[in-house]
Amino acid sequence: MRKFFAIVLSLTLMLSLASLPAAAEGFSGEVKIWVPDAMVDLTLAKVEEFKAAHPEYAGLTALVEPVGEGDAATNMITDVEGGADIFGFAQDQLARLVAAGALVELSEENAAIVTEANDAGSVAAVTLGELMFAYPMTSDNGYFLYYDSSVISDPSTLEGVLEQAGAAGKKVYMQINSGWYQTAFFFGTGAMVTYEVDDEGNLVKANVDYASDKGVAALKGMIALANDPAFVNGSSASDASNYAAIVDGVWDSAAVQAAFGDNYAAAKLPTFTVDGETYQMSGFGGFKMLGVKPQVDEAKLAACDALALFLTGEEVQSARFEQSGWGPSNLNAQQQDAVKADAALSALAAQLAYAVPQGQYPNDYWSTAEGLGDDVIAGLLNDLTDDQLLERLTQFQDILLSLIAQ
Amino acid sequence: MCPQPFFSSFPRGLDANEEVGDGMADLEYLSLGRGQRRLQDLRRWLISLPKRMGQGALRFVRGLAGLIKKLGLDIADIGQTFVKGDWKTRVSFFIMGFGSFARGQFFRGLLFFLFQAVFFLYILFFGGAYLAKMGTLGTVETSRQGRVTVYGDNSFLILLYGILTLFFILAFLYTWRLNIRQNKISQQILAGGKKLKYARDDVAALADNQFHKTLLSLPMLGLFTFTIVPIIFMILVAFTNYDYTHQPPGKLFTWVGLSNFRTMLSAGSANYGDTFAQVLFWTLTWAFFATFLNYFLGMLVAIMINKKGIRLKKMWRTILVMTIAIPQFVSLLYVSRMFAADGLINSYLISWGWISKPLPFWTDGTWARITIIIINIWIGIPYMMLIATGILMNIPADLYESARIDGANALQTYARITLPYMLFVTGPYLLTSFIGNLNNFNVIYLLTGGSPLSLQLRGNAGYTDLLITWLYKMTVTDSDYKMAAVIGIIVFIITAVISLTVYNMIPSVRHEEDFQ
Repeated sequence: MRKFFAIVLSLTLMLSLASLPAAAEGFSGEVKIWVPDAMVDLTLAKVEEFKAAHPEYAGLTALVEPVGEGDAATNMITDVEGGADIFGFAQDQLARLVAAGALVELSEENAAIVTEANDAGSVAAVTLGELMFAYPMTSDNGYFLYYDSSVISDPSTLEGVLEQAGAAGKKVYMQINSGWYQTAFFFGTGAMVTYEVDDEGNLVKANVDYASDKGVAALKGMIALANDPAFVNGSSASDASNYAAIVDGVWDSAAVQAAFGDNYAAAKLPTFTVDGETYQMSGFGGFKMLGVKPQVDEAKLAACDALALFLTGEEVQSARFEQSGWGPSNLNAQQQDAVKADAALSALAAQLAYAVPQGQYPNDYWSTAEGLGDDVIAGLLNDLTDDQLLERLTQFQDILLSLIAQ
Repeated sequence: MCPQPFFSSFPRGLDANEEVGDGMADLEYLSLGRGQRRLQDLRRWLISLPKRMGQGALRFVRGLAGLIKKLGLDIADIGQTFVKGDWKTRVSFFIMGFGSFARGQFFRGLLFFLFQAVFFLYILFFGGAYLAKMGTLGTVETSRQGRVTVYGDNSFLILLYGILTLFFILAFLYTWRLNIRQNKISQQILAGGKKLKYARDDVAALADNQFHKTLLSLPMLGLFTFTIVPIIFMILVAFTNYDYTHQPPGKLFTWVGLSNFRTMLSAGSANYGDTFAQVLFWTLTWAFFATFLNYFLGMLVAIMINKKGIRLKKMWRTILVMTIAIPQFVSLLYVSRMFAADGLINSYLISWGWISKPLPFWTDGTWARITIIIINIWIGIPYMMLIATGILMNIPADLYESARIDGANALQTYARITLPYMLFVTGPYLLTSFIGNLNNFNVIYLLTGGSPLSLQLRGNAGYTDLLITWLYKMTVTDSDYKMAAVIGIIVFIITAVISLTVYNMIPSVRHEEDFQ
């Protein structure tokens, strides 16, 4: 009986070996790609162009599925084997994906090409330790101020924006119960939180100085904003109503344009003043990227690498901008006149001068920051003295530091 | 007779024929006032509690001892069978089905032998390897050769197939025992000069006196695959470090003992204890209000609509039932937006000049909790109203008539007739709806998603999170499977304890005969 099984086993082994492609040149088979809904048609068309330009990959079949950036990362982490071979995500997910073994590092050749072609912030964003883990796709994942120019004549100070909107009976939206938008205040006063991550996606060090005078100033700025009658918490233009200004990103430009019509305008974030001191609001500069899943088949890996590189190249980035207004990370694509003339993108470019390229943050950072923001909105911090605020920020900071130990 | 009110039933009914713990005589008890009697009841119940728990423990120990004794007898019987058995029986100890085969029961013999063969092949070529790694859940890490990935052990599959293999071994032991018993019985039958059963008889039996096996085999298989195995898997995950940093197939996870439970239950800033206490407190509070407010208000509405002289009864009922007709998914999301800071309610209140700042319906923890309970009343009343309407119409009208003749007022008839009757009939419903509310994912998740969060809470939990929504966030948002499994176990313990205790206390069970 065992002999029989030995024969069967060795036969299967031989068959499976024989079915492997003889060389790493060319690949035919299925490659599963996850991109947001709006990009499915474009991606399909571009894959055909890729196949036309690379005859050795003519046998490749692309299965393009609509999966949003947030879901893509979560789904990949939940089930790496069932997930896509190439998938788009925002860079805050990078360390999680690497830690879960859902991303393969770039080959040296591709890393060199990517470094050459894209802006420095986006290259830094795909790099963990010494290795690059994804292909930068956009350099537009930041936020700035959209405003209604008929209501707000001068968007340079937060106090002014609130006052002008309030006088017109309109609202000002900003989602301060989010670790992403909150940094506009904290980074603005010079407080900082960053994590150092090794090339396996593990957190190795936290640099936090929220528990400081700078942190207290930022928190007081947030409390003042939350207590303004014109303020509404939120940064999604499609959910906002009756607003004159909103802190939001380029992905909502169509919704804002629809709301403001001819008075549509965008600018860098305003300044805010705490105890007589004026600070420029800062925030995250963020990026979207394409990643390749670890592969057991060398030929397929080569095909995925080539395809991902192509899909994040100058031409496809420009196509994404033309179709949906995604701001390119590719240096040549950024130089196009159309890109430069876009109101939202130029406001973002102005804001990026004050922003910090977004690094890697553990999940608990986001939920803890949401907790802090919720406390501010609920008014729990309204009557606290500076010392008591410092106490809260120390608590916040201790939680952020404790994440390293885990 | 008139049934006893719900809350008095647990102590008094219990001790009706027993020696009262505090030595108070029945006459003395009866001479007390109503309030004092209740107090006395409660005291007796509390006094009897340790005794009852002791009895329970004793019953458990006795059961365990009985089980061990039975097992001992069984092993002795196996030995006896070997000693007294003929050579066919003895060979069957090693080659299953041999005895049956040798005695002409080819069908049974073949089945036994096939089972043994499949079992050994499975262990040898598949299950054994997984079972061997169960202790560590894998040691070979996934590695890269150049840029190509070589996957190592997969802890997830090791745990899953390990469990399956363990079940297979249990099934094998059972079948092996069955095979030995078969031999013993066959030997006895042949010794008595009777005939054995053959394949045709066996198959015929499956449609006759063994029909329950035919019917139940498929459902049992489904229950095993889709319920029992996943539950055991999830329970075991609570004792591992399975989370997004230990995600198969890229990374391994392993056993960590009780450390997840320690993290969940101990206090301190690095642990979840304080957050857990908050969430548990809110879960129980919510379940209490969601169940009893809806229950009494629903009943009240039903009584009001049922009252003689109320016109357009059908219209009132239809209006209320409309809330059921609209899917909660739609109505709750909409209501959630309505109460937002920039929602309809706040906008109108501000434009009418009643308030200057939006009311913090969802942003303040306490406000959010109260808002949820109130909105839930709106959703829950119609269901209870429908149930109550049916039952109220069922209460014999002569009870009310005699009460009226005796001069009882509306409140008295309600407290003495309507309420006891309702509680008697809907006791089990109350219990299930309480348990259902403990796990009422829909309402909470669609209204607030657990918000608001706070610096005072850990693990992504918010002030309106139930254990079940917290569990959901842990699995879906945070990929923290180990802690989610811990919560799952705790939720199970809580619901099991409440169900069993309360079920034995409700009048419908304790005084089953009252209304017959």
